[in-house]
Amino acid sequence: MSAGPRSEARAGLWMTLPAAVGLAAFVGVPFALAFALALTDLRLGSPLAPRFVGAANFLGVLADPVFLRALLNNALFAAVVVPVQTGLALALALALDRPLAGMPLFRALFFLPVIFPFVVVAVVWELILAPGPGGPLNALLTLATLGGWQAADFLRDTRLALPSLMLLSVWQGVGFQMVILLAGLQGIPRSLYEAARVDGAGPLARFRHVTLPGLRNTLIFVVTVTAILAFRLFDQVRILTQGGPRDATTTVMYEAVSAAFDRNRVAEGSAMTVVFFVIVLALTAAGRRAVRHAGGR
Amino acid sequence: MKSLRGIGKGLGVGLATAVGATFLALAACTGGGAPEGSAEKAAGPVPVTLWYHTGRPAERDTITRQVAAFNARQHDFRAALTLIPEGAYGAQVQAAALAGDLPDLLELDGPMLASYAWAGRLRPLDGLLPDAATADLIPSLEVQGTWQGRRYGAGTFDSGLGLFADRAALAAAGIDLPADPAHAWDAARFRQVLGALAAHDPDGQVLDLKLNQRGEWLTYAFYPLLVSAGGDLIDRRTLKAAGTLDGPASVRALTELQGWIAGGRVDPDLDDAAFTSGRVALAWAGHWEYPRCKAALGERLAVLPLPDLGTGSRTAQGSWQWAVTKDARAPEGAARFLAFLLEPDQVLAMAQANGAPPGTRAATARSPLYGPGGPLRLFAEQLGTVSVPRPATPAYPAITAAFQRAVSDIAAGADVREALSRAAADIDRDVAASRYPVPGAPR
Repeated sequence: MSAGPRSEARAGLWMTLPAAVGLAAFVGVPFALAFALALTDLRLGSPLAPRFVGAANFLGVLADPVFLRALLNNALFAAVVVPVQTGLALALALALDRPLAGMPLFRALFFLPVIFPFVVVAVVWELILAPGPGGPLNALLTLATLGGWQAADFLRDTRLALPSLMLLSVWQGVGFQMVILLAGLQGIPRSLYEAARVDGAGPLARFRHVTLPGLRNTLIFVVTVTAILAFRLFDQVRILTQGGPRDATTTVMYEAVSAAFDRNRVAEGSAMTVVFFVIVLALTAAGRRAVRHAGGR
Repeated sequence: MKSLRGIGKGLGVGLATAVGATFLALAACTGGGAPEGSAEKAAGPVPVTLWYHTGRPAERDTITRQVAAFNARQHDFRAALTLIPEGAYGAQVQAAALAGDLPDLLELDGPMLASYAWAGRLRPLDGLLPDAATADLIPSLEVQGTWQGRRYGAGTFDSGLGLFADRAALAAAGIDLPADPAHAWDAARFRQVLGALAAHDPDGQVLDLKLNQRGEWLTYAFYPLLVSAGGDLIDRRTLKAAGTLDGPASVRALTELQGWIAGGRVDPDLDDAAFTSGRVALAWAGHWEYPRCKAALGERLAVLPLPDLGTGSRTAQGSWQWAVTKDARAPEGAARFLAFLLEPDQVLAMAQANGAPPGTRAATARSPLYGPGGPLRLFAEQLGTVSVPRPATPAYPAITAAFQRAVSDIAAGADVREALSRAAADIDRDVAASRYPVPGAPR
């Protein structure tokens, strides 16, 4: 009567209930709502009842050159930021994974930007990126190139605006990945390193055959989260560039929010988020599958 | 475990950003609404709630004093003021409107009036506000407060836009000042002026367009150029943007603007001090810049009309104004307070606090800045004559968003016609999708 596998499964279901309710309330319902709203012509503040318009919003969004540009910008941003930020985080984690005096201080320093509110980060970087020879980054580049650098207006130059956002995003986000990778590094048994050393493996071989395999799942996690955060790019754009110059820095999230709340077109904004959700979901699933094929979990 | 908690936090931040707006709306639903209800009790004055944007300290002090004066003067109503940060004002009103929680008397930005009125959030003032209270309003405010033939709003001040110039720098470059709006510089002359000034300027940048500012400034500052060239944001009769916003006249206007920038004549003004620090001799500036510029330049400061691109110099108008909400529990009290604010002394007090052109003729005549012979007299004369209102249509939020984007793109070197066509298509799509009423006859 008691404790059969069936009642265990039932207990399991009961235990997942709180999490399932939370997921449904905070992910399921908003997504279903967004999808439903995207099929209407709902406008913020309109006195008229919304009408069902079918796929019109989706077709409009997919034909909108600005939205396509936003998708491209998101893809570019992720393609650069994910490898660079992960690589840098790994390098920092390796450098800081040493039992030296004062190491906690360095870890804290590198983690600090993660805690800063983005508005503060934006103000600081707006100053760093200031145009003209007086701007700190311009001055630094001039010094580094022995005067060969032509002072640029980073945030208002169509070619430099997105790279500038990438730079400050990496700076702000790298500490977070570093902490996770540090935790992963510390989870690798020291005995493996000692065994490798006894077998005559040099630092590079130890990194390739002990550290990387040991960090595998941590790295997969870090890459996935970084990619999702990269796709969600919004704050930087809203505060620093408003999508400009000439759509060089606009992103899907920025377009969705400005459609819904600046232009009151809630339905159009919802359609954008639904399209975006499907794309990100497909990318994440594809990534997971690739990893599984390569023998991961 | 430690790392997992970190992740949770990271995702939490993301979620918070994504659903922040929802929470805002929910908070608006649950909060507020409490103090009403006791109004019915015969004893004591009826409460009247009002919202005001947190302007400059002097402006805040003035409205606070005005509320106190109103409450001291009569005992039927008791006005209660809430100050709301300017940056979040629109969102706050939006949320409160959805929650049915708007105050009795609402301050709102002039060009948004049609949008609010169309949404059914405002109550017409005809019959509520005595005609005598608005009889003396300057013509530009008369236009701003009206939508589809009914008065919904009344402002106690307007705004002014022109060219601020450094007389000394102009004289050094051998340039004469235009005397009045009828003799504003035309496009060719303005280019000459910029060239002559640039010859006397180390970096060749002689004009400040305040391109460091974004948002509504871009529409406010540059749509008068469109109109001056014979173009407009939309066809004011059909509400269609295509053919007007991207018509030849509008394209010419913004090509002119782009020419100044591409020619290296415009200071990016990142420190917001291009004019006051003497880096440039000309600045596209609103009345609110006057105190700062006057302090920096003294007698050298001249206030000129904007350049004339063909049909005469045009300028902007419009500012904050008051409106009684549909859900107001004490509309008579709201109207009574508004009538009080429109009294000459009160209009003058507010205009003196914020430096804006006073909203009534009587107050203008008494204003040291805008009265006869005053240094900003030009702005007062332009209002209602060569000033153009931003289109009074519920599509205005979409119009200004599209135009702002086009101006930023054009300033960054985009093809003018292409940028304007895109903006026009965007606006027309919005108008078609939203089923806005189209005014039958031209005014």
